Amino acid sequence: MQLWRKKSLWLALSASWLLLVLLGGFPLLRPAVPPRPRPGGPQRWPRWLDAELLQSFSQPGELPEDAPPPPQASHGSSCDWGTCFDTSKCRGDGLKVFVHQVAAGPISETGRKILASLEVSRYHTFSPAEACLRLFLSLDSPAGECSPVPTPWNGGRNHLVLSLHSAPCPRTFQLGQAMVAEASPTVDSFRPGFDVALPLLPEAHPWRGGAPGQLRQHSPQPGVALLALEEERGGWRTAGTNSSACPWDGHCKQDPGPEQTHPGEMLPNATFCLISGQRVDASSRFLQALQAGCIPVLLSPRWELPFSEVIDWTKAAIVADKRVPLQVLAALQEMPPARVLALRQQTQFLWDAYFSSVEKVIHTTLEIIQDRIFGTSAHPSLLWNSPPGALLALPTFSTIPQNFPFYHLQRGSRPEGRFSALIWVGAPGQPPLKLIQAVAGSQHCAQILVLWSSEQPLPSRWPETAVPLTVMDGHRKVSDRFFPYRAINTDAILSLDARSSLSTMEVNFAFVVWQSFPERMVGFLTWSHFWDEALGGWGYTAERANEFSMVLTTAAFYHRYYHTLFTHSLPKALRTLADEAPTCVDVLMNFLVAAVTKLPPIKVPCGKQQQEAAPLAPGGRRSGPKHQPPVPDCINQMAAAFGHMPLVSSRLRLDPVLFKDPVSVQRKKYRSLEKP
Amino acid sequence: MCASVKYNIRGPALIPRMKTKHRIYYITLFSIVLLGLIATGMFQFWPHSIESSSDWNAEKRSVRDVPVVRLPADSPIPERGDLSCRMHTCFDVYRCGFNPKNKIKVYIYSLKKYVDDLGVPVSNTISREYNELLTAISDSDYYTDDISRACLFVPSIDVLNQNTLRIKETAQALAQLSRWDRGTNHLLFNMLPGGPPDYNTALDVPRDRALLAGGGFSTWTYRQGYDVSIPVYSPLSAEADLPEKGPGPRRHFLLSSQTGLHPEYREDLEALQAKHGESVLVLDKCTNLSEGVLSVRKRCHKHQVFDYPQVLQEATFCVVLRGARLGQAVLSDVLQAGCVPVVIADSYVLPFSEVLDWKRWTSGSMCIRNKKPLRFENYYFRLVFQTEGNDSLVGHEVNSLGHSWEQWDSEAIALATLQIINDRIYPYAAISYEEWNDPPAVKWSSVSNPLFLPLIPPQSQGFTAIVLTYDRVESLFRVITEVSKVPSLSKLLVVWNNQNKNPPEDSLWPKIRVPLKVVRTAENKLSNRFFPYDEIETEAVLAIDDDIIMLTSDELQFGYEVWREFPDRLVGYPGRLHLWDHEMSKWKYESEWTNEVSMVLTGAAFYHKYFNYLYTYKMPGDIKNWVDAHMNCEDIAMNFLVANVTGKAVIKVTPRKKFKCPECTAIDGLSLDQTHMVERSECINKFASVFGTMPLKVVEHRADPVLYKDDFPEKLKSFPNIGSL
Repeated sequence: MQLWRKKSLWLALSASWLLLVLLGGFPLLRPAVPPRPRPGGPQRWPRWLDAELLQSFSQPGELPEDAPPPPQASHGSSCDWGTCFDTSKCRGDGLKVFVHQVAAGPISETGRKILASLEVSRYHTFSPAEACLRLFLSLDSPAGECSPVPTPWNGGRNHLVLSLHSAPCPRTFQLGQAMVAEASPTVDSFRPGFDVALPLLPEAHPWRGGAPGQLRQHSPQPGVALLALEEERGGWRTAGTNSSACPWDGHCKQDPGPEQTHPGEMLPNATFCLISGQRVDASSRFLQALQAGCIPVLLSPRWELPFSEVIDWTKAAIVADKRVPLQVLAALQEMPPARVLALRQQTQFLWDAYFSSVEKVIHTTLEIIQDRIFGTSAHPSLLWNSPPGALLALPTFSTIPQNFPFYHLQRGSRPEGRFSALIWVGAPGQPPLKLIQAVAGSQHCAQILVLWSSEQPLPSRWPETAVPLTVMDGHRKVSDRFFPYRAINTDAILSLDARSSLSTMEVNFAFVVWQSFPERMVGFLTWSHFWDEALGGWGYTAERANEFSMVLTTAAFYHRYYHTLFTHSLPKALRTLADEAPTCVDVLMNFLVAAVTKLPPIKVPCGKQQQEAAPLAPGGRRSGPKHQPPVPDCINQMAAAFGHMPLVSSRLRLDPVLFKDPVSVQRKKYRSLEKP
Repeated sequence: MCASVKYNIRGPALIPRMKTKHRIYYITLFSIVLLGLIATGMFQFWPHSIESSSDWNAEKRSVRDVPVVRLPADSPIPERGDLSCRMHTCFDVYRCGFNPKNKIKVYIYSLKKYVDDLGVPVSNTISREYNELLTAISDSDYYTDDISRACLFVPSIDVLNQNTLRIKETAQALAQLSRWDRGTNHLLFNMLPGGPPDYNTALDVPRDRALLAGGGFSTWTYRQGYDVSIPVYSPLSAEADLPEKGPGPRRHFLLSSQTGLHPEYREDLEALQAKHGESVLVLDKCTNLSEGVLSVRKRCHKHQVFDYPQVLQEATFCVVLRGARLGQAVLSDVLQAGCVPVVIADSYVLPFSEVLDWKRWTSGSMCIRNKKPLRFENYYFRLVFQTEGNDSLVGHEVNSLGHSWEQWDSEAIALATLQIINDRIYPYAAISYEEWNDPPAVKWSSVSNPLFLPLIPPQSQGFTAIVLTYDRVESLFRVITEVSKVPSLSKLLVVWNNQNKNPPEDSLWPKIRVPLKVVRTAENKLSNRFFPYDEIETEAVLAIDDDIIMLTSDELQFGYEVWREFPDRLVGYPGRLHLWDHEMSKWKYESEWTNEVSMVLTGAAFYHKYFNYLYTYKMPGDIKNWVDAHMNCEDIAMNFLVANVTGKAVIKVTPRKKFKCPECTAIDGLSLDQTHMVERSECINKFASVFGTMPLKVVEHRADPVLYKDDFPEKLKSFPNIGSL
């Protein structure tokens, strides 16, 4: 009885045990075996049972690469770079451009600007035999006639037909194999990689220099209109940010929200500027928006964006489909601030680098063709699309961004920790032994180069230094100082005049500062420029002031790339000017660097003896001591040649962290800088 | 489970009174339990082992079982491809209207077998590669099985190789697809276009408006912005497992590995080899291989036999010449081997050239288009010239190239093609040049300064001072009065961080010349100081603690002037330094009088208001919450953030002065003691680990006015009152 009860108890127990186990197990089982196919999920591409047995689309070994290349197919009248341009003519010196003489008679203002821009280009040649590209200006003459075909036409081969205005006159001659550079070509007629798309410039576009971008701040001001729309008559009107409907006509009828109309040619004050993609003349609005820092929004443009071959427009504009305006508006409203910030800044950079003057447009066109000829050693995309732009980054110097001074800060890297000192001995006197010793004492100094430009014979004995010392015989020209000598093998150059006096500590500190600002000039002595109301021109002075805009190259650190730029990109006339008036060379170098960086140079503290040794008065109109010979007015000539005043003033000096602080001098790394 | 079973088996032994009969009984009982458990376990794992290999929603069938479709001989044929097609003319963007998150939806037609009237198949049903390609699309986010919501349609008709299909019948098969509609929004993939003798560079199947992702496009057939140029898939490099090869010199300078070159090309190459010896290697098919060796995996030079594609790793540059077709599968092999391709093919549209910067990829040196007659000699010298002294660079770039495209397999080709089309439809959400082209290594280490334009903001804009305060009203009022004397101040914002106490009455606040606004916060958090308040209208922000009363008006104005020259940096007064503690192997915080600076305290610092946005919404990891929880180190976090995004150092302005309590944050009682320094050091270590790097940059300079401490009349100096106590 008891036994039976015990039995049944155990049975019940074990049964419940089993049940528990099974019940407990099943919920775990369920997710593992879902019903298939799951009703909710998408029906995917099948996994074939015999997928392993499927054949490859082509059998290795049978690939038709075994067949010989067919003869080059002719493509009728159509052309591309490979078939219609003969690069063999450009092998020697790269691109050389000969401009066909425009038919006699008055030429338009724009035509004159173009010709002048071509002539100052480093690719220009007066000899047709030397040229590998012949440029033909397609200008409308006042009579409305089109220029005839230039005589050695050669079927248009290696010719570029350039017209700054869209389809100026019906093409009276067969283009043949000629390339076309015209403003806003239609997408259908444009041959990518062969033609060049130009911007549609207004008549009054400045020849050189040009107005800078109008953006005054990086981020949009709060409350500024989201969208500006072009008006029929040439103005802009802004649409509020809160308009829920598409604010442009034709597509929707809802209340467009608060709107403001800006009459005339006023530049839009909005974050985005909507530009019609259909009308070719709207492309001049495109430039207007670009200058204003208003991000262009193009709806299905039928014209090719300017310089689209090299400019990455996705970084500065939005090209969207005109058929889905609501989607575009929503996208604009939701665009993350980081993107808006980047787009706005890019518009300004592109405007300033390639569009702000006729000269820049022409030079960019030639640079694109030069890049095609260079092929693989042309500017990489990064150089075209980040400041300062491809016109200022010469590919003959390097195609690797790290070798240029401007990309270190952009990429968060630092230049190498050594410099070459370049001492220029111009005036008669003793070799600068003391200076050499001071410079050689720096642990950052890699070598010392002495550029002997004095009339005196070369001294035979030079001091023993820890670093290599090379003496080069110069050409007695001041511009020699900025020649890209092969011997300079470091990024940094310490440019020195034999009469400068520097201490090792000053050199060390200035170099460490330069490493933080490798694209700028870092110097000790400064000048400042000013606008002279009375004379209606620029002046400059060496007087000590609360601000400065130039550092003297008699003692300054800068990147060796500026030597290349000085020698190969500056107009020859400017270098001649500097040779004639040696004080101008400092101004010129400062102009050049400022035009590239758009930033002021950097001043570091210097000892007293250096200040005293400084050439006191440059060519300032007011400050020049009477006994000095009159200095030519180089600053105004240079401002004219640059087309604007590139110099930027700074109000600060970089000192060592503990400079003249009330702590023990033992703690200070650069203590000798504080000696009175 | 094991343990419990053991226990159960041993159980009866622990009950000595039980009889053997019972014991057997119990054993049986527990065996049943055990069995049940095992069964449960089996059930759990058994089904997985079968099914986990495939997707649950994919049907399992054989390719031979697909339905057969008979095409009548007179069924319609699409028009030939329209060369003038562009996205805005031939693509129906309205169909993409349903797609959320700026992502197109792609439908794949189900697989059918097409036969003509006589029952002869039109083409191979599907190739291995096309099946992989469709599988990749199906597994991607682009895929939809709802034909009515799709914006792009991919036919399952395999046209990868034109030689394997009948052109007219394939076109008829395309035309009868349910949504064909002149091919609008249809995407075809083709790698081997054309056929003998003239080898067209685009697929010859009439396809009307359909987009073509083709290998071997020439500029004549490629519709820019409409078609997509894709690489020709190489089965060889897919099979071969190439070892990773680091940068450094390789055995051969130039290598040609293609078989079946045109005799003229081969002659030229061999002449080059004869001239330059070892540095140039020209390979050909092997003629004398023993049986059983796969001839496609071998290449020979005279009697030397090389493994292919492994031999490609031995060369710096590899020639890729056009054959009958422009697109060559060898390009994929060459890239995978990390050899710089020298592509010589006139008018060839390189793969994905719409987005990939080939010039940069190949270290800015390669991809030469040929002119007739071929002059290898010229190219050779150009290569030598360009790589002179740049060996490491070439190696580096190519190496990174290998990483960014592990392999050009079907999946990569399919997804890149869809991404390109997607970016055309949603240009405002498109992938940038950098994302396509920067190798991963660069992405991690490089910075992208959000304020990259060199721009000096006009002085007229002024700055907004933001004072974070809790309850030190008296000190706060003094700060307000002092700051209001700064000429460029345009607005004052008080962030009232005390929820238990109301700010003083309006009438009690100091009367100042600029608008003063009090913002009350919901919680006493340090990050409130860096919130991008709508009230901030200027770009420049001065963050200032409510106890910083020792800064003179000249010092603050000068600080603003310095910020204008460095608008992308933190410009602050008290500077700090981080140091590496070699003993402890970690970072250390330093506030002593040092010759270097790597941080500025935000108790008094100018910066661009965009960094407020970054701090609030884009701070990496849990740093923001961590700072709020610890009530400390918000300034260090800001220093990290700005340095990390700009790659630039801070600017410390003006000499060091005795700050009453420079280390004070908003809370009282935090003093400059040892624990404080330890905490700050901990912050640096914590942030460095979250950022994955030490972004702070050390500099040895600070900014002073041009004439600071110069021998110059004080009254003529712009900022005379600097550094005074």
